[in-house]
Amino acid sequence: MSRGAAIAAPRRGFVHALRELRRAFNTNITSWIGLGVFLAIVLFAVLAPVIAPFDPYEQHIIDRLKGPDATYWFGTDAFGRDILSRLLHGARYSLVIGSVATVSAMIIGSAIGIVSGYVGGRVDLAVMQVMDVLMSFPSLIMGLMIVAVLGPSMGNLIFAIALTAIAPFARIARAPTIVIKQRDFIEACRALGFSDLRIMVVHILPNVMAEILVLGTLWLATSIRVEASLSFIGLGLKPPIPSWGGMVREGFEVILDSAWLSIFPSLAILLIIFALNMLGDGLRDAVDPKLRGGE
Amino acid sequence: MTTAVKAGAASTSDTPGPILRVESLTTSFRSGGAWHPAVRDVSFDLARHETLALVGESGCGKSMTALSIMGLVPKPAGRIAGGHIWFEGEDLTQLDDEAMRRIRGDRISMIFQEPMTSLNPVLTVGFQVAEALFYHRGMSGREADRMALDLLEQVKIPSARRRFADYPHQFSGGMRQRVMIAIALACRPQVLLADEPTTALDVTIQAEVLALLAELKTAYGMSMVFITHNLGVVAAIADRVAVMYAGEIVEIATVRELFRRPTHPYTELLMRSIPRVDRNIAELETIQGQVPSISAMPPGCRFAPRCPLREPRCEAAPPPLAGRSGHHVRCVVRAGA
Repeated sequence: MSRGAAIAAPRRGFVHALRELRRAFNTNITSWIGLGVFLAIVLFAVLAPVIAPFDPYEQHIIDRLKGPDATYWFGTDAFGRDILSRLLHGARYSLVIGSVATVSAMIIGSAIGIVSGYVGGRVDLAVMQVMDVLMSFPSLIMGLMIVAVLGPSMGNLIFAIALTAIAPFARIARAPTIVIKQRDFIEACRALGFSDLRIMVVHILPNVMAEILVLGTLWLATSIRVEASLSFIGLGLKPPIPSWGGMVREGFEVILDSAWLSIFPSLAILLIIFALNMLGDGLRDAVDPKLRGGE
Repeated sequence: MTTAVKAGAASTSDTPGPILRVESLTTSFRSGGAWHPAVRDVSFDLARHETLALVGESGCGKSMTALSIMGLVPKPAGRIAGGHIWFEGEDLTQLDDEAMRRIRGDRISMIFQEPMTSLNPVLTVGFQVAEALFYHRGMSGREADRMALDLLEQVKIPSARRRFADYPHQFSGGMRQRVMIAIALACRPQVLLADEPTTALDVTIQAEVLALLAELKTAYGMSMVFITHNLGVVAAIADRVAVMYAGEIVEIATVRELFRRPTHPYTELLMRSIPRVDRNIAELETIQGQVPSISAMPPGCRFAPRCPLREPRCEAAPPPLAGRSGHHVRCVVRAGA
């Protein structure tokens, strides 16, 4: 069997899923706004080293706790570091942690869900019981427990966030799998002698890709929020790394005198989560009727 | 003709004897804690280049016979409970899943009834035709694509090149069935099992698809088991016919012989219930009663409860399939006559 061909099919399925999403997009203005804002944030993050006016770690002792002005657009913190520069660099951490965690959860969760739904029976029952247990923990609590046990580090943070997101992906992939595996074209695949693995990867996965991508968008927002929350309570990235959650926390101590320290990173978190939710909600609304009706 | 025809020359077409021999096949299903045969003691030979039609009403076991040959009896509710299926010297009932998988879609293919739902909606038609080629034949993507295009042209998809990357929903029912045929024929199977391939199509399209199947069967040198409930279709495409009732073959003969001398009472009644344009019939005959349920089969002849010729001995023991010169009937009354 040709490996190239086995890879080609999910790719074509992926193309199809993207096409579905684009069609959904065209009728949905909020999705466009969400996508635009999100892409703008990604662009700022990528360009941070170039466009940031200062080094995010550079301390300007004379300019401590300065309010927003022409030099420091978003003001400075207690060490005289430029808030804007730290925000731009912080976006990189948020996006990397959020997306690595979400994509890992997406891959692992979808695989679990598709296999579980396809195999069915007792295996399915057992797997879904485990997933239900995982889901019963709020993601923040779960992340908190794991980081508390393993210790705060970027790797552990990603692991903790990914683990909380596996169950939802498993569920969203499993439900349509159960429906799809009973359809005639899967029987036709068996009549062609295809292996179960091939049927799952080449024939079922592309059919559930749209739902998985939509959930991925929504969970990216959740992952970023959990990362910010954990950093806020001190279980995330350690200072002096400019994480948004950590910046909010640092600003918290001086919030009455120098509110900008907390306000700007809070707005950044708000903005990215809002954008991703708009995007995800818009996509979900657009994809849903198709899920119910089939093709 | 084209590369597809040249490429897969059947390696074993010279061994003598039937290509497929089904021997006392019994396929059972579990219901209420007991196993009940849905297919019972079915035997037939499929000669090379022959088309055998399996005819019968819904639930008579004709599709389950095909699925048994394919090794696709739904588990764990069903199983092949007895008999043998000989294909090229191998007993398919004894092969493990892996060996059976290599045969399916490669040396024995199947076409299903529902062209509208038998294609994956999110994969292009071209890919789906090419898939079996690189799966079973280990072709590269490009080779398989070229051959798939060739196949689409052979099944007469108009402007196949342009439609290669189209999705199934962009095709009509008849065109989709052509695509299904292209997929089934991709690896040049020796045996094609066609399970009511034209039932879901418009009458005019039916005729086109039947003609196409007959043409490709000859071009590819295949043997075909054609499942249908339509006796008109049988006359058009088959060489021999096996009439099934309640999981058993009740009569098997050449098409000519069967239409000339339908012997089993069930066959006879079936023939009389076909609408004819060449005769003036005020009322179509129907067959009284219903097929007995799988868990409540009569101990003797399974057709006896509905049979106009019923005699006491019919209900005593299951009648054997008997006869001569290729015309076999499972009826003690008619066989003795």
